[in-house]
Amino acid sequence: MKKAAAVLLAPTARPFTIMAGAILVLALIDRGTGYLFSLGTVFSVMQLFATLGLVALGLGLSMLVREFDLSVAGIVGLAGCIAVMTGVANPWLGVLFGVAAGAASGLLQGLIMTRLQLSSVGVTLGGLLTLQGITYVLTGNKTVGYPNVAVALELNAPIAGLVSVRSACALAVFVFAALTMRYTHIGRDVIATGSDRRASRIAGLNTDRIIVAVFAASGACAALAGVLLGYGLGAASPVALADVLAPAAAAAIIGGVSVAGGSGSPMGIAAGVLTLCILRSGLSAIGVEPHVHDLVTGGILAVIAVLDAPDLTRRITAWRLDLTERWARAVAGSR
Amino acid sequence: MSDIAVRARLGLAEVHGRRLVIAVRLVAGAAIAAFALSTPGFASPLSINALLTAISFIGCVAVGMTFITITGNIMSLSLGATVSASALIFLASLSFGVPGALALAILFGVSVSAAQGMVVGHLRAHPILVSIAALSLLMGGAALATGGQRIYPAGTGLHIFKGRVAGIPVEALYFFATVALGQFILSWTRIGRVMVMVGSNRRAATAAGLRAASAVTTAYVIAGACSALAGVLLAARYGSGDMELGAGYDYSAIAAVLVGGTSIQGGAGSVMRTLIGVLVIAIIEVVLLLRGFSQQLQYLITGIIVLAVIMLHTISYGR
Repeated sequence: MKKAAAVLLAPTARPFTIMAGAILVLALIDRGTGYLFSLGTVFSVMQLFATLGLVALGLGLSMLVREFDLSVAGIVGLAGCIAVMTGVANPWLGVLFGVAAGAASGLLQGLIMTRLQLSSVGVTLGGLLTLQGITYVLTGNKTVGYPNVAVALELNAPIAGLVSVRSACALAVFVFAALTMRYTHIGRDVIATGSDRRASRIAGLNTDRIIVAVFAASGACAALAGVLLGYGLGAASPVALADVLAPAAAAAIIGGVSVAGGSGSPMGIAAGVLTLCILRSGLSAIGVEPHVHDLVTGGILAVIAVLDAPDLTRRITAWRLDLTERWARAVAGSR
Repeated sequence: MSDIAVRARLGLAEVHGRRLVIAVRLVAGAAIAAFALSTPGFASPLSINALLTAISFIGCVAVGMTFITITGNIMSLSLGATVSASALIFLASLSFGVPGALALAILFGVSVSAAQGMVVGHLRAHPILVSIAALSLLMGGAALATGGQRIYPAGTGLHIFKGRVAGIPVEALYFFATVALGQFILSWTRIGRVMVMVGSNRRAATAAGLRAASAVTTAYVIAGACSALAGVLLAARYGSGDMELGAGYDYSAIAAVLVGGTSIQGGAGSVMRTLIGVLVIAIIEVVLLLRGFSQQLQYLITGIIVLAVIMLHTISYGR
């Protein structure tokens, strides 16, 4: 029993255990009414996955090297607007420009960070505000429609009833990222940089280059998410996705990525994203109010953020001792 | 390059860097002043009053955010949601009278924020993750409680939070009082000093026997109270509210904190600097508006200024 729990809760398996748990809980609430386990639910889960997944992957990659890329939220909006504006005649051109803009902004922020030795939160916060500004200027603060309806229909058309072209694209990027991280030296180098940057540098790894590359990849992933969403909805707006950061961070953390760096994998992130998407679709399929989803996401994120804190048990003990000491002092004082 | 070489280079650059920062500040200040005063209509009482009202809401949140940043916890992404939720609580509980509603709103902001402060301070959870979790919980909870409806005041007496006293907007008076109180706490009280030391070097502060975790919790409590006050002022101003009321205030607040020159690494900064940051951003926006630039361009310029300031300050402080 203990052994089974250890296997299920091991860092690499935890995301999948949580996902299975979420499905189980929903199934118990559903109790065979059948709304939950239908092809329609799977399809809607995958549609959500297409939007959220790639943003979570980008953010998660930056967390793997112990940084935090806040700018993904800005890149999603910018890339979506660029694609919708430039890809009317030729959709591929829009994809190219959108993803290039995302990669370039990631590259630039990565260079600023490594050259000036700045913290990623500061730089990407400035980056986020700047990117949002650029998006507002480009769109004139208006929602931009995408007249090429055929592309939107094609992207959302179901393949075998389970996935759409849009979600298949997202899945393909995840598979590519997982293979790269698992079977190439890049993956090893990224994990090494995130685990102990100093040691990696002393061992001869060019950690600056890894960080710049990770931020470029993170920007490209977030940009692709924005492009796919813009095409899929047939419109892009500069304000639409300001709140993409919360679910993306939640997904990455549920997916086993640690803010302490060096742990996590693309497949884990995928499981984290799927957990959130299953909860969202599942809860609405069984008729729970849509806002409950926010509460569940926030609750899970809070619990895992606490569990992820370094030396947790020691800190809880310290806090308890601190409280008892104060209590004793207050009692002594009142006498 | 090895760490030691980098440190040595930064050490040398530090002296030049500080001078550079002072020079840039003086030039930028003079440029903004000249730019503003040469803009027709800027110095009129109408425009000044509009400016003062506009900065009050974001200003209160920015004062609160300063405490979080100074203790080394970067920023909170949940302050905007705290502003909105406190405003809703204030409006809904106006039937208990203005003092009761005000107390409830502040109590709410303080407890939401204190819970985050305890988790961040005592358990060392990542501040940004905790604030994102709080954001989701606040949005979900508020939507559940209100059913997504607008909230209208359940009583009267809102007028004491708007209008003018001696020609100055009341909101601005509350804001300036918040700034004064905040600066007092930071520079003249023991806990304020501890906050700065914890932000500058938490391990050293703990080793010196200071209660680092309590200082962090207090910083979050202040941030919650300031955000709740901003919520009350906004609620009084608009007469009704929903969760969009404070949307984006967290980003605007951190922009003001950083432009003012409080270090994002923690341990250096002040509430007065945040006041300057708020003023600089607001003046630039008003000037751009008066000169006929679109609002979109204002967003872009604010973003670029924040990025430039972060880079400039880090050059001066090493890391």
